[in-house]
Formats: sequence, C-alpha cells, structure tokens
Amino acid sequence: MSIKYKFQTLLVIVLLATMSSCKKSFIELSAPTSLTPDQALATEADLKVALYGAYAGMRNVDLFGRSLPVMGDLMADNAYQSSLNTNRYTFFNDYSDTKGATATDGNALGMWTAAYNVILRANNIINSTIAANANVNQYKGEAYALRALAYFTLVRNFAKPYADNPDALGVPIVTVYNPDLKPARNKVSEVYALMLADLNQAYTLMTSFTNSSMFSKYAAKALQAKVYLHMGDKANAKTAALDVINNSGFSPLTTSNHASYWANSVVRTDKLETLYEVSSDAVANLSFDAIGYLYSQTGNYGDILCSDDLYALYGAADVRKALYPTGTRAGLPSVFINKYPVTTGDLSDTKVLRLSEMYLIAAEASLPTNEADALTYVNFITSRRGATPILSTGTQLLEDILTERRKELAFEGDRFHDLQRLKRDVVRSANYPATSRTVPYTVFRRILPIPQSEIDANASLKSQQNTGY
Amino acid sequence: MRKLVTVFLCLVMSLLQVQAQNRTLTGKVTDEKGNPVVGASVLVKGTTIGTTSKEDGQYSLTVPSSAKELVVSALNLGTKEIKIDKNASVINVTLTAVVDNLEEVVVVGYGTKKKSDLTGSVATLKSADIESRPFSSVDKALQGKVAGLQSVAASGQPGASQNIVIRGVSSISGSSNPLWVIDGIPVNSGDASRLQTTGNLLSTLNPNDIESISVLKDAASQSIYGSRAANGVIVVTTKKGKAGKTRFRFDTEVGQSNTAYKSDKYRPLNATEYLNITREGLVNLGASQASIDATLAALGQGTGVDFNWLDNVSRTGTQQQYNLSAEGGNDKTTFFISGGHFVQEGTTINSKLTRTNGNIRVTNKATDRLTLGVNLNVGAVSQRAPLNGGSFGNPVLSSYFLLPTKSAYNADGSWNLTNLGGLHNTIALSEIDKRFLRQTSIRGSAFAEYRILDNLKFRSQYGVDYNVLEEDQYNNPRHGDGAATNGRAYSYYTRYFNWVWTNTLDYQQNLTKGGDLSLNAQVGYEAQKSSGYFGSLRADQFPPTTALTYPASGASPYAASATISEYSFVSQFATASVNYQNRFVLSGSFRRDGSSKFSPSNKYGNFWSVGGTWNIDREKFMDDLSFVTQFKLRSSYGVNGSNTAIGNYDALPLYGYGYNYNQLPGSAPANVGDPNLTWELNKPFNVGIDVSVLKNRISFTAEYYNRTSASLLLPVPLSRTSGFSTATRNIGTMKNAGFEFSLNVVPVLKKDLRWEIDFNIANNKNTVTSLPGGADIINPNNSLQLIREGLPINSFFMREWAGVNPANGDPLWYADDKHNATTNVYPGAAARVVAGNSLPKYFGSLGTTLNFKGFTLSAQFYYNYGNMVYDTWGAYYLGSGFGATYNKVARQLDRWQNPGDITDIPKYVYNGNKNAQSSSTRYLNQGDFIRLRELQVGYNLPKSLIEKAKLTNVNFYVRGTNLFTWVKDKNLPFDPEQGTNSATNLNVFIPRTVTVGLNVAF
Repeated sequence: MSIKYKFQTLLVIVLLATMSSCKKSFIELSAPTSLTPDQALATEADLKVALYGAYAGMRNVDLFGRSLPVMGDLMADNAYQSSLNTNRYTFFNDYSDTKGATATDGNALGMWTAAYNVILRANNIINSTIAANANVNQYKGEAYALRALAYFTLVRNFAKPYADNPDALGVPIVTVYNPDLKPARNKVSEVYALMLADLNQAYTLMTSFTNSSMFSKYAAKALQAKVYLHMGDKANAKTAALDVINNSGFSPLTTSNHASYWANSVVRTDKLETLYEVSSDAVANLSFDAIGYLYSQTGNYGDILCSDDLYALYGAADVRKALYPTGTRAGLPSVFINKYPVTTGDLSDTKVLRLSEMYLIAAEASLPTNEADALTYVNFITSRRGATPILSTGTQLLEDILTERRKELAFEGDRFHDLQRLKRDVVRSANYPATSRTVPYTVFRRILPIPQSEIDANASLKSQQNTGY
Repeated sequence: MRKLVTVFLCLVMSLLQVQAQNRTLTGKVTDEKGNPVVGASVLVKGTTIGTTSKEDGQYSLTVPSSAKELVVSALNLGTKEIKIDKNASVINVTLTAVVDNLEEVVVVGYGTKKKSDLTGSVATLKSADIESRPFSSVDKALQGKVAGLQSVAASGQPGASQNIVIRGVSSISGSSNPLWVIDGIPVNSGDASRLQTTGNLLSTLNPNDIESISVLKDAASQSIYGSRAANGVIVVTTKKGKAGKTRFRFDTEVGQSNTAYKSDKYRPLNATEYLNITREGLVNLGASQASIDATLAALGQGTGVDFNWLDNVSRTGTQQQYNLSAEGGNDKTTFFISGGHFVQEGTTINSKLTRTNGNIRVTNKATDRLTLGVNLNVGAVSQRAPLNGGSFGNPVLSSYFLLPTKSAYNADGSWNLTNLGGLHNTIALSEIDKRFLRQTSIRGSAFAEYRILDNLKFRSQYGVDYNVLEEDQYNNPRHGDGAATNGRAYSYYTRYFNWVWTNTLDYQQNLTKGGDLSLNAQVGYEAQKSSGYFGSLRADQFPPTTALTYPASGASPYAASATISEYSFVSQFATASVNYQNRFVLSGSFRRDGSSKFSPSNKYGNFWSVGGTWNIDREKFMDDLSFVTQFKLRSSYGVNGSNTAIGNYDALPLYGYGYNYNQLPGSAPANVGDPNLTWELNKPFNVGIDVSVLKNRISFTAEYYNRTSASLLLPVPLSRTSGFSTATRNIGTMKNAGFEFSLNVVPVLKKDLRWEIDFNIANNKNTVTSLPGGADIINPNNSLQLIREGLPINSFFMREWAGVNPANGDPLWYADDKHNATTNVYPGAAARVVAGNSLPKYFGSLGTTLNFKGFTLSAQFYYNYGNMVYDTWGAYYLGSGFGATYNKVARQLDRWQNPGDITDIPKYVYNGNKNAQSSSTRYLNQGDFIRLRELQVGYNLPKSLIEKAKLTNVNFYVRGTNLFTWVKDKNLPFDPEQGTNSATNLNVFIPRTVTVGLNVAF
C-alpha cells in the first residue's frame, strides 16, 4: 500500500466518522401542530384555549350539532322523517321492540364517544393545578358545567330515567384521565349526584358572563333546574328556575322580538333569552352535517318535517306558528321546520338552555301544590307568544303546561326526554310509520344501546348492555 | 426536439475525445453463429482506451504500442480477453453467449451481486416485462409477474394506487405496501392525495424508463433496509446508457378501454321495473292507495322518462403512449436520454391521466479510479378523477342510486339540476365541477465512485425524491356539493422533499492464495430526511357562473391552513459474504437505524440477517450431470422491521389545536402517546432451491418461508369513556408461512420456432398468534373484519345469512354458529361468525409465449383463489326496499313474492324488510377469478427489410389487457379485484384495454 492510498483511506475513514457523529437532534423532531399536555395546559391563557376546545366538542354531529336536537323530537311526536329522505335517523323515526337501532348504531356510538370527549377536555381543565384566580375559577366553573351537561346527555340517552329507578344502571363516571381505565356503569342516582355537585361548583366558581355560547353562573343554575326536574325534585327545580328568572338579568322573548330571535345565528351578548347555546360559526361548523340542512327544503336534505298534530296546536295568532311554513314534499302536504334557518355563513346555533324553559319548569314544578304560581309562570310564556292563556286546573293544568312546553321547546331535542321522565308512551300522528305510531314506555329501544365498540373494549360493561340489545 | 438531442450528444462526445495514438487495430466482433455483434465494448486492458463495434460488428481502435491485451465484452455475451500480437492489425473476436447463470448479476440493496453469490430470495423483472403497458404506474404492471407478490387494483381510475402485498400481511394497522427504492433512494410512495380520491406517487415514473426491478423477499436480501424492510423491498433501477453508436428507440401504443367485468345481475333497474317493485314495496308496507299513488308520482311515475345512468356515466376510454429514447457513448462516458407521453382515459366520464416525463443519465469515468454520474428523472402528471365511495358526487355510485325515472337532461337538453330525489346529477357535475390533481416528481441523484485500491471502492451518492401535488377542486354554485355555499373551490398544495445521502465502502479480498476463499464486504452510512409541506385553502361564495373555478374568485375565504410533517433516519450498515470455490457462500448483514418516529428511549434499532448457499452444480460429483446448468440450495434468517403503522409523531402524548369555537383557538387531547412505542419486528426464515437443466430449457425455483411478526403496532381500542377511542401500542404477534413455486419451460426451441411457458403460484397462510389478553379486536381499518388469535388477519366477521323464509319472505339469519336455528331478528338474536378472508389462499399466473420467425404470440393468465369480496353498498340496491327512493339492481327482481317461493332475495318492503339490508354474509361473495391479463400478437419486420431503411428493429403488436374475466361466484356484483380489503366501493371500473403498438429502433 502506497502512502497515497493510505492517505486516501484515512480520508474516507475520517469522512465516515464525521458523518456518523451527525447531531442527535437530526432524529429528534417535534410535532408541528401539537403540543405535549404539559405545554398545552401550562398557563391560565392555555386553560382558556382548552376550554374553547371543550365547548367545540359539544358541537359534534352526534351531540348538539345535530343528533340531540333531532332525535329528541323524532323519537317523540314532534318531528317525523319524510318518505323522501337521505336515510338519516331512520332508526329513530321508525322504532319498536322489533325494529330500529342495534348495538352497532353509528349515532349511539357517536354520541357516547363525543360526550366522553367533552368530559375528558373538561376533566383536564377541572384537574389543572394552575393557581386559582378569578379567571381560572371562571374557566373551571365553565368546565364543571360542560361536564354536567355531558353526563346529563349520556344518562338521559343511555339509561332509564331517574323516575324509573334511581338505582338502575347509569353511565360510567370518569373524572380523571386514565386511558387504561375500564369503568363499569355507575347508578343513575350517582350520575345525577355528580351533575348536581358539578353544577354547584360551576355556580360558585363562575363570576362573569361572556356570551350566549358560553356557560355563566345562571346558565349552570338553569341546567341544574332541568336536572332537578328530571329527578322529580320539584322543590329544588322550582328554586333553581326562580333563581335564574329573578337574578340572572336575562330578558325574555316577546311577540315582537320572537321572529328576529330565531332568525339570528350570531352569538348574543345582550342577555336576551339564551342562557346557553352551542355555537356554529362561519368557519367552525358541521357544513352539510349541520342540523339546518336536515330541515331546510332548499338544500339536498330536508328529511325531517313537523308533525300535523303539533302544528295544529298553534293558534292563528301564535308567533311560533311562523316558524313552521307549509308546503309539499314527496307529493304530500307538509309542515317544514324553520328553527335553524341559517345554512350558509354563520350557521344557526343550537339552543340548549333558554329563559322561557325556566318559566315552564317553574310552572310544572309548582304543581300540584301551587296552581296559582303554575298559571302565572306558564302564562308568562303564552302571553308573550300570542297564545291563548291557560286557565285549567288539576291534572288538566299539568297537561296544558306540558303541551305548552312541547309547543315552546319543539325541535330543541326536549320532547322525547319529557316523555321519558314522565314514563309516558309516545303517541304519534299518522305522519309516522304505522309500525311505530305508538311507542309504549316499555319499548326497550327508548334508550340507546351501549355502543358495541365500547363493550368490546371495556370488559366491565360486558354484562351491562341495556336490555333488548 | 431531434435537433436539440443531436446538439446535446455532440457536446457530450466532444468532451471525451480520445488522446495520443500509435497504431490502428481493426476487426469484427461476432457471436457463436457468426452474427455481427453491435455495440460490443473493445478496450485496451488496464487503460481507458477503447471503442465499440458498429452495426456490422466492425471496430477500429488506435492503440498505444504498449498495449498487450484487448478486453471485448457485450451485453449477455460475456467478456473475452485477447492477446495483441505485435504484428497483427486485424483481430476478430467471437463472443460466447452466457448460458451459465453464474455470471448473471442481480441488483440487490446497495449494489449488485452475482446470482451464484445470492443467499436470499430475489425475484427480478426486466424492462420487457413492464414497458409499454397500458398501466399508469409500474406497481400495476407487477401483477402476476412475481411469485408471492400480490398486486391488486382497488380502482380503475387512471393513476390510482395499487395494493401490493409480498408474502402476506405482517402488520395489523400499518400498510402492507413494500418499501420502494428507486436508483438507491428509499422513496415516498403510495397515495399522497389529500383532496382527490387518489394520487399515486409512482404514477410519475415512466415504466419505460425502468431497466430492472428486484423484489427482495427474505431476510438475507431485505434486512439491509432495516426498520422499513418487513413488507418487502422493491428495488427499481432505471435505464443506463451503453457505450456504442447512438441508438434511438421509439415506442408507441394506442388503444381503447371499457369495463373489464360486468354482471347482468347488477344492472340498475329501468323505470318500469323500478316503479313496479316500488309499488309492490308500498303494498307490502301496508300503504293506502292514495299514499301509493302520491309516492309513486313523486318518484317519477307517469313522466315517461327512462334514463340509464350507468350507461351515461360509462364510456369507452382511450389509451395512448409515446416513448422516445437515445443512448450511447464511449468507454469513458455513457448516456441515456428518454422522454415519454402517456394519456389514459378511465371507463367513467371525466376520469383521465396524462403523464409527460423526461429522464437523463450520464456516467463518466473521469480517471482510471474515479467515476462520476448524475441522473435526473422528471415526471409530470395531470389527473382528473371523479369522487368515489359513498359521495353523492360519485358518478358510479349515483348510477346505482339515481332513479331511472329522472333524466340527466331536461326536455330542452339542458342539465336537470332539480327533482333528483335529493341526489346529484353527476353527469352535469362531472362537466361543471372540477377535480384535478397535478403531480410533479423529480427523482435524481449524483454520485462519485472512487476506487481507492483495486479491491476497495468508496461511493457517495446524494439522492433527491421530490414530489409536488397541486390539487384543485371546484363545486359550482348551482347544483351539488357547492350549492349550499354558492359555490366553493379548494386548492391544496402538498410537497414532499426527501433527500438521502448514502456512503458506502466496498471491499473484496481473496482470503487464500489460490482464490478459493474470497470475501465481499460493504460498510455504509446513510442519512435521510423527508419533509412534507401541506397548504390547504378553500373559498366560498362564487359568482353565478361556472367559468370561474379557482379560489381567487370566491368572495368568502373559508379555510386557510398550512403545516409540515417530517421524518428522518440515520443508519449504519454492513454486509459481508464469504465465498468458497463458488460452492459455498455465507452472507451476513447488519443495519442500525435511528428514527425520528420513536421516543428518545427507543430511537435506535438493530437489524440483521444471515444466509447460506450451496451451489451443488459446482460440486465435482455433478460434473457428469452436464445437463444441469444450475442446482442451488439456499436459506436465510434474520430480523427486520416495519414502521408504516406509526405516524411521524405518534409516540408523543399530544394536545392538538383546531378545536375552535367562535373562531377562537381551542385545544383538545389528540393523541394518547406511548414512550415505549417501537417498530414492528419481522423475523423471516427462508429456504429455496433453484434448478435449471438442459441449458435453461427447464428451470424452476421453489421456496418456503415462515416469518414471525412481533411487537405489532395496534390501535388498541380503549374504553371510550377515557376520551379516546384507541391508543397505539406494540402488542400482538402473527405468522405468515407459505410456499412459492415458479417454473419456466421452453418445450420447443428451433431455429424459427420458440415456445416458452411461465408459471407461478404462491400460497400464504397467515395466523394471528397473540393479542393482548387474547381478546378479539375489530380490525381498526375495517369494521367488517375481526382479528382473533388463531385466525388469519383480514377475516370477515359478520352475521350469517340463512336465506329467505319461503312462507313469508322474511330475511333469515342463523341464530348461532352451529346453524341450529334461524331468526328474522337481525340484532341480538343472530350470531356473528367468521366468514372467509379478504386475501386469497393461492394466486399466481400462467403465461406462454410463442415465437415463430418474426411473429410472437403471448398470453398471461392471472388467477386468484380463496378470498371473499364484500359488497359495501349492497344494502341500498339489494336491501329489499331499504333506501326505497334509490334505484335497485336486477338481482332484486328475484325477490320473494308468494308463499312457497324459494329465493335468496327477501320480500320487497318499501323502506326495508326487517334489517335485510344490514351487513351479513348475504353481501359476501366468493372472489375466485381467472383473468386473461394479457394477450398479445406481435410481428418483427425481417432484418433484411428494415436494414434498408437503416433501422435495427421494427415490431408491431396488438395487445388485449384484462380481455376476459371468469368469476366463480355469479353473484359477485362488480370486478373481483377490489383491493386487499376486498370491499367494493363503486370506484371507476377496472378497464379492459385493447391497444396496438409499434416499437422502432435505429
């Protein structure tokens, strides 16, 4: 080997050695659009961002984005599926013990998954160790309220009503993040206890009102009123509702602002009526999956129509009647639903808690002991809608209040859950398929299946599927 | 163009003028039969002085007085060294054809190997096997060519990706696609589209630019690619110029295509049939006469319209390609230049791909020891593809959904954009809406190779694999997906910049004096980084016209986003092989990969292989058996890995952003993360035998393999109460075992007649051997499939169809897997069972070629046996009334009508009959098929004729591709090829193509 070759060999070896010592960071790359949880929840400002993320979770198509408000009326007697449809929610239009959704149902799975997503997002805020101050408390308060709302959604859809049996299987309670947890179902009463506790926390911690799309102190109280009503705890329901009515500073809907209120799709800061709604803005929205498309007759969907018997309940002078234009679909005279009219740009939001409902809760919760109060509160609504005042007494008064509730809260996903908590049969108009014109309270499909995917992944639930599925 | 080429060539030549000269030698190079050999290299040994033989085999070379020996070589004819007689001025050389496979060289990872030195399983393809085919990318051309390599189309869209599986699936959640290495660069491959339905990165590579493909199938050949080798490695080498007079070659092919396989049972109904069955469904539902009349009227009764949507979205596609290349050079510098143009139209309206590409490679021996080279391969693809799957805008889907009572046109000839039952007029949309993909790829490298010692070589190569995809979409404001936003347009920009720097030292040494024992060794270092860049934007609210289609015309910006995604590798590797008298070869490889995809504690992994070969034909005792050309036993074992199942940042627990609210930023947990994540391991064992007898008239290769895959990355289903659905974990093991057999026979070999038969078959048995806690998992990529210990992966799992109750037409399912009872209650009562597999048990091909004088007749059959195909959208067109307002297929007419009817189609009930539409084995059909993949008749014009025109070769041919398809199961709805998932998705149908072609060389 000549000197020259030796030199060349050396050169190559040096070159190789140099390259081998290439900086270690060359193979340490961080994610460009994500942060580690520590980074993402480091400061008070980060908590606020995480809170928006939790709110955004509520907009999921199987939560308030679409499924909750749709199914809450479709499974009841307000909304039905046109024979000309895109096959969405067919299983919840036509359902019985022999027909309808199965354990693998996509909407049930979506709802379950999305609700627990919100719960995780809320848990991470609630469990943050950032030093408390007014802002941190406000954010945590909102997170408590969101968590309560998520559990309220789960327990109402996946479990028997509280009135049926508080010891029945509710849904698993998860308050701490642990991806390997396989929780069993808690009792219905335990879930309600958690919601009440969360809403107390929310009420205590929150001090400010931002806008109608974010929880505030009195929005949390309003949710609590509704929770109490579902528990059949009328006294507490009334107290909570009156706290909102008297102390929240929110102003009621009237005959004169009713139309503009429903036409508006922009988040409110004027404390008119909306205690809490789920916002869909011009960018962050569900696009074609937004609820409005399912009702609007101008797009490609328009599947869901207003039942004839509900429409007949509105008097000629009732301002609410204007929300339900008539026309023809699939060759049949039909009543359309116009509560979510904005389908382009800033889409219609989903109302979750309204001041009007507080009056209706106060009215219902006043019975049977205080019929005078009941009449006062329910007629607070009728007088502001151009409806005939209610004058009845006894059981008829309860029926009239429930009917007023049906008229006022139609297509906001409430009706079916009223029938659930009252353990009533669903009795529907001829608009519905003959096979499911009456859905007795005992029909097992009135509560959703625990999703098969969840049962497959969580051994604790193997024997806890809802009966029938 | 021609002029430019000539100028360029002159430039190249002028750089390389020969130097000082003394005396001139002339002569003729011929083969054994005395035919002149064109382009043989004639070189003075130990120098760079040389030339190449001309068309008549003649050469003329001026040599220095010191010249002692000539080295003459030509492709496939070996090398000969001839002493230069001091007085001779004419030296004629006869070269002998290489029959001995021993000297044949095979491309492997990071270099080449003599075939006799191979210890691994390497299948090779030559350019003739893949070029000038009516396929938009090379992956499609591999079908049936290699035993054990399954290449399945999922779509007939020009430019669609092909599913490739080599020796079985070894990852549960990762892709089974192999690693593609093109000219030494591990490239990004697969589908890179983000907006369009498909965007195959390989579609920019012209198959006509490929010289050879090596498929690495076992540890000995793969493990040098370390953590990316487990799915197999496909090493592509593009064409290099050979020295000699500049030679041109022109290839063209034009033709037409239509749908390869259609079933009459799945013909959409005409208007009368649809209305009749719908009336029946309404009666069965119990609807009143008034309601029946109203519903039928709304569905188009009485309009007299009968429109066949399927016929109108289908068409005869055209196919054309033109390729021109030039190569040549001298002993110092060689070049290869090519250009190609390829246009393919799919069988569905407005599905099309156009590719234009160019390629150049120049290699220069700068000095005796230093070789420099550069190559650049540039391809530009423009693709138009309709939507697929369940999109309303999918023309194929819509032709099974849109009612025959609704026409695409109004009476005045304008588009019918209303009254389509909530569906879209896809015929109008395919014209008005735009869906474009433009893809540009640059694959190139520069290298320097320096021979430090005669037996020590250093090579450094810097390679770049650069892909840009521009995707545009426009949805018009009048009709379809854009109507709700008064029009919308998207523009997505995707770029992948992938660079690789490879440095290797190759060392050869005789370990004994006589050369009985020799060593080949290589050490290398490689750094690689791939940077993806993704820009996405969308604008809404367009002017009321259909002429303005770019986001710039939208009034309302809707989305604007850009991000990156990167991965990097640093690797060291080494190989060594020891050869004893060419009888025994022992090889070993080692690679250490460091990858950015894994957490700091798991960044590095070690991969290795050992292999051995016994060339029995080299043994003394074989000398008497001279009819045996090759008789070789080989075996290997090793460890390599796969990282396709893990994203670039999956190891990290992450909070993601974009969960926005009121246009304010929101964050949410996005990834569970796991610091222990590591690559999937693959441990292949391989044993093979290669036999060739009677001067290669009969040769076969038989192989058995058994590979264990462990630490499989799996999105383990979590309890969704955690806020996550899945977490990626290294769990589970599985096994693939199988055999492969390929046979080549030349039964007839006469002067003017040659008949050759090729056959290959492969079988693979996959078994999932362990899962966490032994629990079943629903396949995360396919909810119809179950992953269970002891079962093969890709097992279909669904409720079992028991037929139709003759008494009342109810759908029936088996209540248990013993078939003891049936039920008409779908959920709960019916039991889910394992029902076949989406991957075949056996597949392969049978080919034959007959050469008679100038004529060639060749055929290749591809066959596939033992898999099932699921009909994804069958619920709608065969669901016995489910989705009543959508059209149905002819098979639905076989429904039950009266008590006692024996049929497999339940009673038709408007809006569905007791979940008859729900997924069950009712929608699962056998996927067995035989397809005449290729049938070709060609004719080579006689030399005597073409030489007058100064041409060296002229060949005409007619070729049919997918000409005929036989399927076993007559209820199979569409083409049997539906990807490796074997689920129909109403994609553009796979084409049957007939082309005529011409090759001219001069």
